[in-house]
Amino acid sequence: MTRYRKQDPEITRRRFINAAMGTTATVGIVSLVGVLGTANPVFRLTRDKMPPVEGDVLVHASASKEGEVIKVSELSEQLIRAWPMGKDKEGNNLIRKGDPNNVLALYRFPKGQIVAPTNLDATVDGEIVAYSDICTHAGCSVSDDDQQEGQMKCPCHSGQYDPKRGCVVVGGPPPRPLAQLPIKQDGDKLVVAGFFLENPYPFTESEWEARKEAVKAQLA
Amino acid sequence: MNQWLDERLHISRLNDKFLRKAFPVHHSFFLGEITLFSLIILIITGIVLALSYEPSNSLVVNSFDPGTADKPNMLPAAYHSVLKLNAMPFGDMLRRVHHWMANIMVAAAVIHMMRIYFTGAFKKPREINWWIGMLLLIFAALTAVTGYILPYDNYSYNTVKVVYGIAASIPWIGTWLAQAAFAGNFPGDGIIPRIYGYHIMLLPGILLALTGAHMLIMIKQKHTQPQYAKRIAYKKIVGVPLLTQQTPIMLMLTLLFAGIVLLFAAFIPVHPSEFFGPPSTTPINNIKPDWYLLWIFGALAIIPSFEFNIFGGIIGSEFTGAILLPTVVLGAMFAVPMLDRSKDNNYYAENPTNHPVRLAIGTAFMALLIVMSVAGYKPDLISANVLTTANANTVLWILIFVVPAVTYFATIGIVRGIRALREADERDSLAHSAAADD
Repeated sequence: MTRYRKQDPEITRRRFINAAMGTTATVGIVSLVGVLGTANPVFRLTRDKMPPVEGDVLVHASASKEGEVIKVSELSEQLIRAWPMGKDKEGNNLIRKGDPNNVLALYRFPKGQIVAPTNLDATVDGEIVAYSDICTHAGCSVSDDDQQEGQMKCPCHSGQYDPKRGCVVVGGPPPRPLAQLPIKQDGDKLVVAGFFLENPYPFTESEWEARKEAVKAQLA
Repeated sequence: MNQWLDERLHISRLNDKFLRKAFPVHHSFFLGEITLFSLIILIITGIVLALSYEPSNSLVVNSFDPGTADKPNMLPAAYHSVLKLNAMPFGDMLRRVHHWMANIMVAAAVIHMMRIYFTGAFKKPREINWWIGMLLLIFAALTAVTGYILPYDNYSYNTVKVVYGIAASIPWIGTWLAQAAFAGNFPGDGIIPRIYGYHIMLLPGILLALTGAHMLIMIKQKHTQPQYAKRIAYKKIVGVPLLTQQTPIMLMLTLLFAGIVLLFAAFIPVHPSEFFGPPSTTPINNIKPDWYLLWIFGALAIIPSFEFNIFGGIIGSEFTGAILLPTVVLGAMFAVPMLDRSKDNNYYAENPTNHPVRLAIGTAFMALLIVMSVAGYKPDLISANVLTTANANTVLWILIFVVPAVTYFATIGIVRGIRALREADERDSLAHSAAADD
């Protein structure tokens, strides 16, 4: 009688299949992650997407008058929305509306009504003030408050701001005041005098510093 | 022909296994069916809409009002195609049917879930189907939100902006995630093609797969049996078979339901794109999400402003209100079957009044969501002089705690009353039958 002993193969079927499936899954997941990487397109800072920079002229943003230069005489305690208008590489006028977060809110209050924490040096004679019009909460455009004269309200989640006091949050969920934009008067036009004083939506402080550097580098 | 088919496809086995499936006879069991019919009609109307829709946000000349050669009137292609769709015979109606159907599907799903919850049908062995149902609800809401964005009018534009803001508010990964999900910084050139892909391919695919799993598990596990089945034939399946008894009822229900929704669509306008106009910097006053997301909106409206920094990630009111809070609420709903510790399988739908705590928690939960939804109307309440700007938040916050508590104890009280009456009835009939026996 010969004793037959079943010889185990070097690698069992089960182990082979498990290893094969593991390899396939790993390769599959790695390539899927690679493909998903392309879901996020590269951001290119073009001039129409730049935040308002020094020397930009403020023009109307409302659909009926879009692109018309805002005259100082038009301003009042009613909000006026504006785009910054700069120059493209050829020197032609270019409205910077490639980034909708560039929309601005302009107000003119009687002298003495605008108080700290508004930066009065960045206003025109303490009368005309410009803010980012983008709510720091979820990025909606902020409007005049129809309940309270001289205040601002975001229609999306009831964020409220006081434009006479540096647009501090007076109600609702927004985390920060609206960023103030320094402006100066040039004849009857309004001209941007520098970058936003604080980080506007959607930037964090460090992102905003980085963006300012990138803009300066590109314009230099 | 039957034999010909049977020899090839074994119809008789299919018949024995699936087509004879017994349906319990009770109107509350139609809620799930209505949800399913809505999904089917949504897919059909969606396909027809997709034939005429142009998924692009590049600017094209408005063919209805081209403007002048040096100053053409430009509109996003998606919005323009919706205007053209509205101008088609019954085009506007088609959009309305699609919209109403979406609302009704979520409503039917929610009431279906209420039926499951209050009758204890989520108990072992049906926990998995409760969880799949929850996923269906979440994905249905996501599909609805992406559908909102497609017309790309000013309303959609504001909606997608808020959705983008919410995604970006997640600490650490938010910015990357929002950019990956919405094809770059808002509003990227590819935002509409991206959302279109989600709305017509990815999300319906997920919904169909989940629905398939939901139904297969339901066929495998059978419906919970209504109480009368216990009396008729204990531990037996009681009901009418799918073929041929349930099918005509289902068909009738579908046709009746579709008819009602067509009437809705004919007379009640929804999402008037022409009224909202193309995307612009002018926000829409009193913009609100659909009713099933209003509670999140309400939470955002009354949450106070705060922001703090943990390890470089920013946790703000937006993240808390729009991501953390819904996660907690949905997590609680997910956890419902785990709170039941019974080891035996549950075959029969339970009478809600026999489980007063479960019933009271359910009604209190609904009361909470309703109060939060009412908080979404904060600006309207203020302009109607019901509340003032100063006291609105305080009042609404108090209501959020008080109303669910009152609902809870009121429910318990009412259930006790019902029980007392029922017991008195039983004593009464017992006394009378005893007297009759003598």
